[in-house]
Amino acid sequence: MEANPMHEDCQNCFEKISEFMDGETDEGTCEKIRGHLRNSPKCRKCLESLEKTVDLYRKSPHEGIPPDVRARLRAMMEMCFSRG
Amino acid sequence: MTAFLFLFRRREMVDEKNNRRTDDFDHRLIEEFKKGSTDAMTKIVERYEESLYNFGLRMCGHVQDAEDIMQDTFMGALKGLHTFREETKLKNWLFRIAAHACTRKRRKKKCEPDREISLESLMPMDESNGHYEIPDWSNDPSDAALRAELKSVINTCMVQLPPKYRIVFNFRDLEGFNTEETADILGITPQSVKTRLHRARLFLRKGISAHFDGGQPDA
Repeated sequence: MEANPMHEDCQNCFEKISEFMDGETDEGTCEKIRGHLRNSPKCRKCLESLEKTVDLYRKSPHEGIPPDVRARLRAMMEMCFSRG
Repeated sequence: MTAFLFLFRRREMVDEKNNRRTDDFDHRLIEEFKKGSTDAMTKIVERYEESLYNFGLRMCGHVQDAEDIMQDTFMGALKGLHTFREETKLKNWLFRIAAHACTRKRRKKKCEPDREISLESLMPMDESNGHYEIPDWSNDPSDAALRAELKSVINTCMVQLPPKYRIVFNFRDLEGFNTEETADILGITPQSVKTRLHRARLFLRKGISAHFDGGQPDA
């Protein structure tokens, strides 16, 4: 059995959901999406999962610069300074 | 005439100050560097090296390439800082240099051409109920194994994301540049930034969820 394509309102929301997340939609679109989210658990989950995805990347820690990499960078800068 | 030139020059100086986009801390370092202070450049390196290294790592996936990106960026900064007019933030300027360094590296390595991700390929079908399994990052010491697994999965998904989307995601969601700044740094339109960011997020969500739902991230 073929899966049904998205409902048109859900599709419109899907296309703009990142901009909505970032507060970059115009007021009219923002209100439309807010209204749709109130009535669409699926789209609410979509928004939530996107937020979680971004949050996951933001929280994963930075890699420290390996000491030898840092030392080579310092050495390179010193060499450039001494050349003038 | 002299009075006119004096007023004109004074206005120019005021305009330069008003047009300055760097914060006070960076501005002081830049001024000191322009006067010959190598210590100022060292402080700039200390301030931005970790961000640039991690940016290089996320864009290229290899420690050696990340080191090259970082070195190339600071070499470029050393050459260009004397004439930098602070019309943009120092961070933005440095990351523009870094973005170009990434592009050059890809060309040198003759990487595969950037591919498009269609929105249709990322659309959930009706049957999915909108559910995606996205774990939370936990700093609980007992979750070390989960953290290691998560790290591996998110790194894999990042590397699989085509570069033109990856860089926008990095700039917008990880480095904190806004849409206009990202567009300016990359030389693309704000709408392109929004489009690529949206597809990047959807792609990464799909890959992460596929792993934790029992599948593997898409190739």
